[in-house]
Amino acid sequence: MINLLGSVEVEALAREESVRGVLVRMALNQAEQADREELVLLEKALELLLSRFQALEDDAS
Amino acid sequence: MILRSIELENFGRFRSQTVEFRRGMNLVIGPNEAGKSTLAEAVPAVLFGSDRLEKFKPWGRNACSAALFFEGRGRTIQVKRNLVTDDVELVEKDDLYHVLSQFSGKVPLRGRSAASREYRDLLESLLGVSDEGLFRATYFFGHHPQEWNGDELAQKLRSLVSGTAETDYAEILDGLLEEHFALTRSNPWGRDKQRDREYEEVCQQLAQQGGAEAVPVFVELDNNAELAGQIEQLTGELDHDRQEYAKGLRYIERVRRQAEESSGTVTPVVASPPPSRPVPPANTGSLSEQLVAAGLPKNPPRELPEMLSEAAEIRQELATLQQPYAALGNREKHVPKVPWLVLSSLVAVLLVVVAVAWWQDFQLLWIAVAAALCSGMLLGWGGWRHVARNKALAECLKERNRLDQKKHTAQQRQADLSERCEFLGLPSSAIDLVRLQKQVAAHRDLLANFWSGGEAAVDGPGSSAQGGTGAVVSDVPSASLDANLAGEELAKLETRMAEFEADLKRKEERLQDLARQLAEAPAESSRQAVTPASKLFARKRDLEGRIAVLRKAVNLLAEAVDEFGKSHLVHLNDEAGKLFGKITGGRYAALKLDENMTPSVQVDSRRWMSFDHFSRGTVDAIYLALRIALAKVRNDGRSLPLMLDDPFVHLDQKRLATALNLVDLAAADGQLILFSHNMELGKRAARERWHVVPLDGDSAVASPEEGDEHVGQLHLL
Repeated sequence: MINLLGSVEVEALAREESVRGVLVRMALNQAEQADREELVLLEKALELLLSRFQALEDDAS
Repeated sequence: MILRSIELENFGRFRSQTVEFRRGMNLVIGPNEAGKSTLAEAVPAVLFGSDRLEKFKPWGRNACSAALFFEGRGRTIQVKRNLVTDDVELVEKDDLYHVLSQFSGKVPLRGRSAASREYRDLLESLLGVSDEGLFRATYFFGHHPQEWNGDELAQKLRSLVSGTAETDYAEILDGLLEEHFALTRSNPWGRDKQRDREYEEVCQQLAQQGGAEAVPVFVELDNNAELAGQIEQLTGELDHDRQEYAKGLRYIERVRRQAEESSGTVTPVVASPPPSRPVPPANTGSLSEQLVAAGLPKNPPRELPEMLSEAAEIRQELATLQQPYAALGNREKHVPKVPWLVLSSLVAVLLVVVAVAWWQDFQLLWIAVAAALCSGMLLGWGGWRHVARNKALAECLKERNRLDQKKHTAQQRQADLSERCEFLGLPSSAIDLVRLQKQVAAHRDLLANFWSGGEAAVDGPGSSAQGGTGAVVSDVPSASLDANLAGEELAKLETRMAEFEADLKRKEERLQDLARQLAEAPAESSRQAVTPASKLFARKRDLEGRIAVLRKAVNLLAEAVDEFGKSHLVHLNDEAGKLFGKITGGRYAALKLDENMTPSVQVDSRRWMSFDHFSRGTVDAIYLALRIALAKVRNDGRSLPLMLDDPFVHLDQKRLATALNLVDLAAADGQLILFSHNMELGKRAARERWHVVPLDGDSAVASPEEGDEHVGQLHLL
């Protein structure tokens, strides 16, 4: 586990009963079987997605 | 868990105030600007912090704080926050006021410190929520729109199930796809875009400069097609070679049998040799040895050069056929299909238009005529395309038959030639024949000497063999000679077969290798990294990285949406359906959300109708039922109060009554706080014995007296 995928924030998000929560859970599951390169790619993709959720939230408020 | 009270200190228009709530329905009522929204916003502001301090902090004061008191089974939770400093205190106590858990520290909104994490973990375990977005999406209901238009309701529901109040996951997905196709035209989820994008342009620029790095990574389909082509070709070659190998084995077996028969008996054997089978000349022993040393057969027949020319001609013919076959395959692939689905959809739309015109009694004749004309034109065009397609395919089939015929003829000739070769003791496989042709070309003189010497010898003692009887009577010495020849030939053949077998194995390994490459092609391409030699290489690499991330993100989100649908929608639909059934008195049995989060209602045992067929009041009820169900699905038994901040401001009396019935039902299971400026609600509050908190527009709060639970209702009465 590296950086974002091992973070407390992601662990908390993984407990959510929402699309965002399912997304994080799937990413964590995939991370368990991923090699180093796939893990980097997965983490970048997850970071992008979570930032989009957050960014759009900020735009709307 | 219910919210027992909110204490406010210099919070908005409240200087120092405590507002109490009860289990069940609570109505906070007051005119505009009385502080209802401020009171409602105090809950998320205390729990998670706020970046809109100026909204809550009174002008000219540097203090602003609030505290929430929650009460559950045998325990209380107090959360207090200073909104200026973001200092938070959280204490959980049991019935005997023993502290069960406690936190004190600075927790700003979106803080990432260890203290923030500790606080959020505690909040999550005690209240079941640690994220403001999720809290708002679950427990917080804002203004209800006057009417849900088009995709608005589905969009709102998609945002709520996303775990945020305003972010629609479909919007994120569209944004990612848009970004992806701004970088590359390659489309792993469907047909590639037509126009080249930045990535393809960079690759082209690199290609113009030369270099292996110019090959685009994101062309898996093309690469895969090339690999698949190679595999197909190699598979064909292998099939042919295996057949040749089997023939070779059979031939060796025959030669071996002949050798055994020749050496095992001295009894004269009457054989019927082929007319052109050469009889080994007695005086050509040294020439034969030279021929063998040169890699030629020991006893080559006279027609060998013609046979080899014919074999080359057949090979050439078969090779030439490959190109028209490939072109034909390509032509067949590009015969345009008829978009029947699109056409039938358009015709269906036209029929719907006619039906609507008939139903509404509006210009039926003109619309029907126009629709019929359009339908006719569309179907006519489709039919014309269909005929053209069939014609093109028939031509392709005709061409394919012609090519098959040619191929069959060439293969037949090849088979005949192979038979003749085997009969003459020559190798019949394509590889051996090519090799033999080269040897024949290189040793023409030797062969000419052999044949001229051989003829002379044949004219001598063996001339009787060519006599009128047509039969050869072999005696012991000739049998021994045949046995020797067969033994040598057998050894040679076995060597060649071993070589051929090794070649076959190499081809099989190559085939396996290609199949593996094909299977690993996408992973390999995503891993490909090229050392940048210039800015273009660097840009190409950046783009590849970006595209890979975007693809991964799109796939991940799409899978998550799919998984959420499978794991949560059934429960959500069940809960919402129960609520909706109750509020409509059982008129509608069930409610469901499709994959786009568009609600539909079961109107009878088989028929489902989309929400937009219902009245605005029913649509409000659908929305509220789904929202309350979502809170129920999510709260996991740790329910916080549902907070409705004047959601029904745009509703007329009838719609309001429907909505309030549903709200009443939802409150029965827990706690619901309705903030409203509608004084008419006071009457219902008194009738239903709701807890009422009146807010006065002039003073901060008209506070109910401590311990008098009915003061709110009395105030209104």
